Amino acid sequence: MSRSFAAPLDAVDEVRTSADGITATKRIVATDPYLAGHYPGFPIYPGVFTVETVHQAARRAVEASRGPDVRVELAAVRSVRFKAPLLPGDVLTVSCQLRDDPDDPRRVRVVADCRRGDGAASAKVTLELRVRSGATDA
Amino acid sequence: MLEYADLTAILPHRHPILQVDRVLEVEPGRRIVATKAVTGTEPCFAGLAEGLPQSAYAYPAALIVESLGQAGAVLWLLSAQAGGETPEGTLVFGAARDFEFLGAAYPGDVLRHEVVVESLKPNSAVMRGETWVGERRIAVVGSMLAVARPDTELAAGPTG
Repeated sequence: MSRSFAAPLDAVDEVRTSADGITATKRIVATDPYLAGHYPGFPIYPGVFTVETVHQAARRAVEASRGPDVRVELAAVRSVRFKAPLLPGDVLTVSCQLRDDPDDPRRVRVVADCRRGDGAASAKVTLELRVRSGATDA
Repeated sequence: MLEYADLTAILPHRHPILQVDRVLEVEPGRRIVATKAVTGTEPCFAGLAEGLPQSAYAYPAALIVESLGQAGAVLWLLSAQAGGETPEGTLVFGAARDFEFLGAAYPGDVLRHEVVVESLKPNSAVMRGETWVGERRIAVVGSMLAVARPDTELAAGPTG
């Protein structure tokens, strides 16, 4: 499937809506783009790709709720802490809470708890998305 | 100045995720200035739909973070080397705070990262930095933590 924005990989396999946000999963595959170099013979899902998984999942949720005429960008990684590595075969599950910024309707704050299939916490991520109106650059 | 071949001797990252092309300036223990050229042939630009606006071709923020982080890793490793030490194990990204994206980079642009050391320990480093495209500052990070993890720990699974 073709993408509508540049991205290092399709970082989300599935997204489900939950009570206060969304839950997304991504199975780590050694043949994912960029993993051949990270690292040769010893593939590890790069930490920034976990951030990308959260970004893509939250972006889908915002686009779904605000309609197709918005453009969503990553404005900030407010904080990220990596706790355990993700290796091929692991399934990453990110549970995201999304909250509109009360002071700025164009900002959405995303807090994500990231876990491996064995339940171990792999990362904690807080992002801010910028939402612009208009799907084009005009 | 350090060229690409020099960087492959310092960093474990390889094509296509070796995200630093050249080091312009380095003062071990203090600061580094490194560049990464963005080109439309990189994997992140593959598979995009036809007829998209230019904004769709903005370089992914995750790869800007990776590139700036690798510039920091080079600074850390050269600093350790200058001090006669070698961090043991595999370098990993531990944490970051206040990474702000202020502008975009597109194919044809050259990212210029300026990273400054906040604190150095034998198995961890704290740095802050900025990314520029020409005279435009496109990203800034308040702090990022790099740590060296024993290889056995990574292979075994759960860490920290």
